[in-house]
Amino acid sequence: MRARALALSILSSAAVLTVGWQLGTQGQTSTAPDAAAPTTADSVTSDPTATATSRGGSTPSAAATPAPTPTATNGSVSAAAPASDGASGTFTGTSVQTRFGAVQVQLTVANGNITDVTALQLTDKDQRSVSISNRAAPVLRKEVLAAQSANVQGVSGATYTSDAYLSSLQSALDQAGH
Amino acid sequence: MGMHVFDTMGTTVSLRFAGATAPASVLDGVEGAFRAFDERFSLYRTDSEISRVARGELPLTRTGAELREAYAEALDWSRSTDGAFTPHRPDGVIDLSGTVKAKAMEAAARVLDSSGEADWMLVAGGDILTRGTLDGLPWRAGVVDPDDRGTLLCAVELVGRRIALATSGTAERGEHIWRTGDPRAPQRYRQVTVLADDIVTADVLATALVAGGPEHCPQLLNRFDIEAITVDNAGNLTATPGLQSTRGLTPA
Repeated sequence: MRARALALSILSSAAVLTVGWQLGTQGQTSTAPDAAAPTTADSVTSDPTATATSRGGSTPSAAATPAPTPTATNGSVSAAAPASDGASGTFTGTSVQTRFGAVQVQLTVANGNITDVTALQLTDKDQRSVSISNRAAPVLRKEVLAAQSANVQGVSGATYTSDAYLSSLQSALDQAGH
Repeated sequence: MGMHVFDTMGTTVSLRFAGATAPASVLDGVEGAFRAFDERFSLYRTDSEISRVARGELPLTRTGAELREAYAEALDWSRSTDGAFTPHRPDGVIDLSGTVKAKAMEAAARVLDSSGEADWMLVAGGDILTRGTLDGLPWRAGVVDPDDRGTLLCAVELVGRRIALATSGTAERGEHIWRTGDPRAPQRYRQVTVLADDIVTADVLATALVAGGPEHCPQLLNRFDIEAITVDNAGNLTATPGLQSTRGLTPA
């Protein structure tokens, strides 16, 4: 599975994969009224990233969800080169539970290419509609914190050189011994 | 509080225990976990497997399964972050340093977990992973102030499922972009700290948010289950809801 994921990474175009992720919450059961859609669905289920992100951003596993049919492997590769004779239309996915609540998406396909992905349904645990938002809002510094007096046991910072530790606050904390 | 400090992977690792320091055999296992990743994945070691790949001596297809799996996983992260995180240097050489430190920390955590160690904080080159508490209180980590690396921006508690903290930054001081007043200059992050459920996610997303900048920040925050604190070139701060009132910060 790892080897396949690696091959997919190399073969698949970024654009297709981006869409593949967006489809991730949809799962593999998008309605497929014509021949174009199964190709799309296969590329989704074979995309290990989709599996990972639908779990809410946990460590991705290259162990892709096993595809339902033997043709799925071929399908995901062919997705890298979209069929030129694709159909057009809109396709609605099944509702899937995410950390934000239930999500259902609709695809718009034109000539075999996905042109839009729209969230149809997004509700929290109480079935109220919500918007996906984990927005970073402005904050201000309230106080100056000194490492030794801030009662911290560790220091998180970017390391730029191998000896960054020598001048770091972590070093000071470690030498303090507690 | 017991403590064990050692050097590995070009940085220093600090391991604190709420109680007594773990037995030497456990500490050896922790150091061994880091050493295994260092020997395989460090580009600064000319004898590492990845250095042989970088020099063209060893085809990727004939590397060990661990390296190929790590590469595949890094490529997954690259895709899921729309390329903001990448396992390739600008010259095309495979560089897994963006994930291997965090993966080594996870391996070390498995050693500690399987040894029954319940309350500890592992700090590796600015990345932090914890278990349990410090005498019933949350482990607490300071975030370096990028404007004055001798002080802290804020103090983050690692509590509940949020047990991993990582910070990425750009070494360049960005004010010159601001001073030029060039309206075309994109605003960029000097430093991003990510709090997550696991250290690989925290580390990768901190890197991806710095690389992607404010433009890609909203979609990454919506896509991944993380909290983040950003510092841009002008010194402006933002934080996601879970960190807006963390000690040292206050909502604007």
